[in-house]
Amino acid sequence: MRAAMNTKRNLVTAALIAPAAAWLFVFLVLPFIAMLVFAFGERAPEGGYQAAFTFAQFANLPARATAFWNTLLLAPAGALLCLVVAYPTAYYLAVKANPRYRLMLVSLVVVPFWTSLLVRTYAWMYILGSRGIPNLLALIGIEDVRLLNTPGAVLLGIVYGYLPLMIMPIYVSLEMLDRRLLEASADLGAKPVSTFFGVTLPLSLPGVMTGVALVTILLLGEYLIPQLLGGGKVFFIGNALVDLFLQSRNWPFGSAIAVTLVAVVVVVLMVAMRIAWKVAGTRQVDLV
Amino acid sequence: MRAFISSVYLFLYAPIALVVLFSFNAGRSASEFTGFSTAWYGKALGNTFLVSALQNSLMIAFTSAALAAVFGTMAALGMERLGARMRALFDALFAAAIVVPGVVIGIATLVALVAVFSFLNPALAILWPGDRPPQLGLGYGSIIAAHGLFSMALVTMIVKARIASLGRDIVEASSDLYATPLTTFRLIVLPQILPSILAGFLLAFTFSFDDFIIAFFVAGSKTTLPIYVFASIRRGVTPEINAIATLVLVASLLLILTARILMREKRSKSGE
Amino acid sequence: MTKWYRENAPITADRLAEELMRLKRGSVTRRHFLGVTGLGLATAVLARQPALFNSTAFAEDLGTQMSIATWPNYHDPATFEAFKAATGVAVEVNVFGSNEEMLAKLQAGGTGWDLFVPTNYTISTYAKLGLIDELDLSKLPNYDPSAENPRFANEGTIDGKTYAVPKNWGTTGIAVNSDKIKKPVTSWKDFFEVAMTEADGRAMVHDYQLTTIGNALVSLGYSFNSIKPDELAKAEEVLIKVKPHLYAINSDYQPAMRATDAWMTMCWTNDGAQLNRDMPEIQFVLGKDGGEIWSDFYAIPKSAANKPAGYALLNYLMTPENAVKEHIANGAPTTDSRVLKLLSAEVTSNKIVYPEEAALTPLEFGAAVTLTDPGRAELMARFKAA
Repeated sequence: MRAAMNTKRNLVTAALIAPAAAWLFVFLVLPFIAMLVFAFGERAPEGGYQAAFTFAQFANLPARATAFWNTLLLAPAGALLCLVVAYPTAYYLAVKANPRYRLMLVSLVVVPFWTSLLVRTYAWMYILGSRGIPNLLALIGIEDVRLLNTPGAVLLGIVYGYLPLMIMPIYVSLEMLDRRLLEASADLGAKPVSTFFGVTLPLSLPGVMTGVALVTILLLGEYLIPQLLGGGKVFFIGNALVDLFLQSRNWPFGSAIAVTLVAVVVVVLMVAMRIAWKVAGTRQVDLV
Repeated sequence: MRAFISSVYLFLYAPIALVVLFSFNAGRSASEFTGFSTAWYGKALGNTFLVSALQNSLMIAFTSAALAAVFGTMAALGMERLGARMRALFDALFAAAIVVPGVVIGIATLVALVAVFSFLNPALAILWPGDRPPQLGLGYGSIIAAHGLFSMALVTMIVKARIASLGRDIVEASSDLYATPLTTFRLIVLPQILPSILAGFLLAFTFSFDDFIIAFFVAGSKTTLPIYVFASIRRGVTPEINAIATLVLVASLLLILTARILMREKRSKSGE
Repeated sequence: MTKWYRENAPITADRLAEELMRLKRGSVTRRHFLGVTGLGLATAVLARQPALFNSTAFAEDLGTQMSIATWPNYHDPATFEAFKAATGVAVEVNVFGSNEEMLAKLQAGGTGWDLFVPTNYTISTYAKLGLIDELDLSKLPNYDPSAENPRFANEGTIDGKTYAVPKNWGTTGIAVNSDKIKKPVTSWKDFFEVAMTEADGRAMVHDYQLTTIGNALVSLGYSFNSIKPDELAKAEEVLIKVKPHLYAINSDYQPAMRATDAWMTMCWTNDGAQLNRDMPEIQFVLGKDGGEIWSDFYAIPKSAANKPAGYALLNYLMTPENAVKEHIANGAPTTDSRVLKLLSAEVTSNKIVYPEEAALTPLEFGAAVTLTDPGRAELMARFKAA
């Protein structure tokens, strides 16, 4: 009787999990294995893939060192820049804003997501191009300023594109903050500044960590923003990957780089978790 | 503080304002305003390629998000019943599906599918009884599958968090009252997790609708809206693109607004 | 042989005979006969039927949409609108910045293109890889091989089989905004020097291995088509050195040149003519140390979904009256003597479009080997990722 119930229970569990498991296997595990196999192959004479067993692709990785460094430098830099803008915004929304308008203001942070990032980035191409801001600068006598296709433009695009993703987790963590703590701190004679550093900031750290890790990880695979605002000159590893598949048709080398990128993401994630645990003093931090 | 916040909102909305402004441009260019006109809206809606790209995007986003919502919820419920080791395995797989960059998902899917098709297609050609064997290739299916992967992981995470926060006792109480598991699920669990499923569905829909990089690799000959926009950035953007972007923005704003009003009504009804 | 293949294969002699018999027996209509044999278009043209494409029978066969892969600023949008008006087929235009990109797309499968525009040196590779089929010239009655200049048309034909027909020819030169840059630029050596000095931050190179590497090679005195590792290594040095000074690496330089974001660029004849027409301060010069002369072709991918429409558009573009309009709009020199006759002296005397033969002497046609050479492909990718 009990065994029969257990079998039935197991069957139901299996049925519930089966579709997701199949999906994960066919479209995550299998492709990853295929990519690994390709990474040990050779470029066919006309481009593409040809079966082989060689470490040549991995040995050639240093040829993309600059792209890896760019990515490892600009992704955290972009995330931190995002944070600098996002934190005060989230703080204002959660603590200072008039509660009547709070919900509306928060929604307004998310609404830009409903217009294609591509279209919005294209708008930046116009704003930064010589008909935009440089044109305005020329009116006050500053001629020939170049903004588009610079690392600065790429960073700006990154902050723009990922700002809402940084604001939201910080806002949520600040919003959950018990207001009575702030009042207690003030009642005990703490100055606003010390209340902020002693109470608010430490309690919002989980949100900050989530935001920084989320944005950094997404940025590690970024392609569009450097492509459109960097003029093909500011290269992320994502751009190098697209280039290898859609121009030089070197699938094995591209696969090797993709595998390496995944390894980098895992390492970054582990470092982020380690820092988060240390900062929060607990293992209760969800990064994803 | 005020000034800073205002400038953040200005920063967020200036490009959007520009997009909307140029959708009313009389000239051909999306970067030189020559006069007011609504002609581009008509042209955008009359452009078969643009409209079919929009339809494709809506269809793909809806299908992948719906499949993700169903399978993701099922997986979240199923994982509750798994042993610790299996659960850790699935946790890791779902986390991987979320964390692996889109560009890698796109490439891996492309590589795997091309490899699979290259031996499936000849096999099909031999085995197929009819005259014209189906040629498997990249297209809607591969985009939906690749988008669905991320979306499903997203839904599972969200729903699982919600289930974890549900009290076990309410479920147990229900079964103590001799409700069948299915009834318990339908009457007790589902209403509790429904908002999370919906939230997951919406996030998944938005993700798929705006995704460029995955579709860029696995779309084959199919065009989604982001792919169409990317192609038109290369061939020179006309205000058609601005018009369609504005329409999408307005439609989604209306949806958010309707949802909010409906929820408010529901809340006030149940409150009084 | 599958049914699908039979229906889509170019007609064979047996099939023609069989169809003829069916026609005689009256089991098919004349329209069906003309349709399958591809003679319909030919007879229509021979009969000088004015409404060539208005026949509903053809409109049905052609479907309602097709897709072409081509280069930036290479067609008059009015051409496609006119084609749509005549046939009911809407044309989607996809733009690419290099032949490698087109090849990569075709190799990955499922492009959806029904017609595309490869450059002379790539056609032998496409044919070898089986990515394009021999053209069925009976479906292109408006194409006249005898009117084509063999210098530009020959690479479309391999072993007597025509795989591609010429669109137009051209050169890869330098466009310079003379308002911004005072130093005369007359060679690729000058180009790379000025790019690091007077045009610092304002020069563009193509996102295209053939021209970007080729012109760097030329600036060093090597062949445009070199694949020798030591020469390529020197060219890489030139490119890596100039990279921090570039405005962008992009084959669509017209928007940047028009907005004066960029002041100097590697430039194809047609873009040079268009830029100079609208902004006379932008001049187009050919490198006196060398560079590229090319011809672009139309070809139909084997994987095309709507070949009838691909042929119909190609035939439409081959009509001299239509080709003239395209020529005037895009400014690339024609390979077709019938078109040349219809052009005004104003066009044919434009030295950007039709330069003196002497200016062409140092130029080289791209070589097929550069398309597939792994050294050049990897060099370009390294340069971009540097």
